[in-house]
Amino acid sequence: MSAFRRGLLATLPLAPGVIAFGLLYGVMARQLGFAPWEAVAMSVVVHAGSAQFVALEMWNTASAGPIILTTLVVNLRHLLLGASIAPYLRGLPARWKAWLALWMSDESYALAIAAYEAGQGSAGFFLGANLGIGLLWWISGGAGAWLGAAVPDPAAYGLDLVFPLAFIGLLISFLKDRAHVAVAVLAGILALVGIQVLPGKWYVIVAGLAASAAGLLLEKAAPS
Amino acid sequence: MSKLWVFVAMGLVTYATRVTMIALLGRELPPLVQRWLRYVPAAVLAALIAPAALMPDGRLQWGAQVPAAAVGVLVAWRTRNVLATIVAGMAAFWLLRALGL
Repeated sequence: MSAFRRGLLATLPLAPGVIAFGLLYGVMARQLGFAPWEAVAMSVVVHAGSAQFVALEMWNTASAGPIILTTLVVNLRHLLLGASIAPYLRGLPARWKAWLALWMSDESYALAIAAYEAGQGSAGFFLGANLGIGLLWWISGGAGAWLGAAVPDPAAYGLDLVFPLAFIGLLISFLKDRAHVAVAVLAGILALVGIQVLPGKWYVIVAGLAASAAGLLLEKAAPS
Repeated sequence: MSKLWVFVAMGLVTYATRVTMIALLGRELPPLVQRWLRYVPAAVLAALIAPAALMPDGRLQWGAQVPAAAVGVLVAWRTRNVLATIVAGMAAFWLLRALGL
């Protein structure tokens, strides 16, 4: 079996999670007035589930600037993913690196780096994993948006609450120690203050950058 | 706002975060920057959660969404599963509203 196909098949165990999250993304996009093709276009062009959910949550209340800047901040963690997998990609031609970076997701990165560390990784495997997760994410998002028309009046069901709940689920996996918990609490407090004094959605960026910087001081004060 | 160009701009900044370190041949980020980056996702997500759960209309208010979010935190902590968190939180929310909260 080719490395590409092995990478593609390696994404199958992750399929239920990606598909369910993709369906939810599509339904929520549709509620905000996205056509199915627009929901798919965002998934293909941006290809970052958390950032896309954040963008949807901001879509009707923020202007383009804060949405784009928040996307950048939410995705800054990819610098760490890229830095850790880059040594394995050193010998590749530049266009292969450019291509592999394009649809690198948290999931396909995890599959690829695990394969590299087991001595079974390759550019073909990485590309297969990227495309496997990609296809699942794009198609399920489109299906969700298509099915989303069947939900009549989302506000009546309190579907807005899906966003903070999704963020809570995502947040937990980032809380690695007490300093991270303190950073999250501080960011929450700063956001509650910031929403009242800053225009639009700027409180997300200000609270996010200030609290994460404070984390550097907190870990010195209380090493865990 | 025109959706497509926002998608493209979002895509470009996202791609920049993915390709930069790979293109730089695996050079290490300064340790201080590495440590800072580890805190960014938790900070941004918490900054989104707190106002959405506690101030859905722009001011502090107690409603069914507050205990529902608390249920979400509990389930997220126990299961580490995003979908279980959403399902449990929404179920709690609907139950509390049906009870008249």
